[in-house]
Amino acid sequence: MREKLDRWADPPLLVLASLADEPKHGYAITQDVEQTMGVRLSAGTLYAVISRLEARGLIEPLESEDRRRPYRLTADGARELAEQSERMHQVSSVAQRRLRANYGWAGA
Amino acid sequence: MSAREHRVSLLARAALGLYPPAWRARYDDEVRALLEDSSAGPRSAASLAWYALPAWACPPRNLYDPPARMRASLATVLAAWTALAGLAAIFVQLTQAQASSQVATLVGHPVIQWSYWVFDAAAAVSVLAVAVGGLPLWLRMLRSATRRREMAFLLAPVVVPVGYLVASLVTIHLVRRGAPNPVLPYQPRSVVDLANGMVGPWWFLALVIAGFAAGGLAAAGPGLALRGLRPEGLAVTRATRAAVVAVAAMGVAGAASVFAVLCLYAWAPSEAGYHQGWQLATYIPGVLLAAAVASTSAARGIRATAV
Repeated sequence: MREKLDRWADPPLLVLASLADEPKHGYAITQDVEQTMGVRLSAGTLYAVISRLEARGLIEPLESEDRRRPYRLTADGARELAEQSERMHQVSSVAQRRLRANYGWAGA
Repeated sequence: MSAREHRVSLLARAALGLYPPAWRARYDDEVRALLEDSSAGPRSAASLAWYALPAWACPPRNLYDPPARMRASLATVLAAWTALAGLAAIFVQLTQAQASSQVATLVGHPVIQWSYWVFDAAAAVSVLAVAVGGLPLWLRMLRSATRRREMAFLLAPVVVPVGYLVASLVTIHLVRRGAPNPVLPYQPRSVVDLANGMVGPWWFLALVIAGFAAGGLAAAGPGLALRGLRPEGLAVTRATRAAVVAVAAMGVAGAASVFAVLCLYAWAPSEAGYHQGWQLATYIPGVLLAAAVASTSAARGIRATAV
């Protein structure tokens, strides 16, 4: 199940969702995403995502005294995450309604 | 840490070396810290290596430095263009310079003559583009490099080729004096082509190798100076545009030479310098590889001029 979720998960969204809680550095993001969303982000994927999100102004780096630089969500990042979450919520609602109607599935 | 973990960790760190310098300057420390915290596995090494490709192809906007991109492209294009020019010089030596065997070949196969003309015109345009586009940047860098060590780098494209030509002429003179009749009579063997009626095949090969080494040194000089002096502005943009013209023209010259070589191989196997498979198998991939490197880098440079 986890392998399938890894393949279908949208890494930028996972990182934004992780940072919506509080600022985190790279390792803390991977730990949080794995524990709360069940997806393991590899180092290459994580920093490919971080560099793109930073370039788009959706996250920003904070000052750090050591090499573990934390990132936080920007206002644009929060707006983007809200829009994407709303879209996913709509997809989820439609999927659950149809599953209940056609397959008798009551949800987890 | 076990020996295997140590190897994987080394691999992951080596994969970081595949990223562009700007990316490494920004994220290298953080990724290394992440690798230390998470005890890097093969998956980390593989993913880091995989994502190096998009980091080069589509660098994030905040890390994209157009002048730096243009300077890097100019250095690479210069090296690849020099290799193409060296291959073109070999083509001239093994074909057009062999006047005695050329008359019959060109009369019998005029399409080869057309290939030669296209080659000559395109090569001339390419050299002109390098001179017109590169000279203002070179002079500007020369001015700013006064009393700095980059002066030596910037003089390399002038001093090294002159040194090579003088050394070659002296070598040829001494070899011909040592062997009074070095011009080999016609034989249907490649060794005669390499002899080129001057110094014999092995000396010719030695001069070719020394020529490529000299070309490499001459091209490396301005490349290092571009890194050290970091010029910006119109001169860099113009040089980048001229580099595209130079590469396109040298590409046409290379294509014409490859066409001529194939025609010589097919129609006139006993004439000129290309009538054995290994000669084609060496020359054509060399031209294709250098042209691919030059055109890729020129395209990346011209994209940076539009930003």
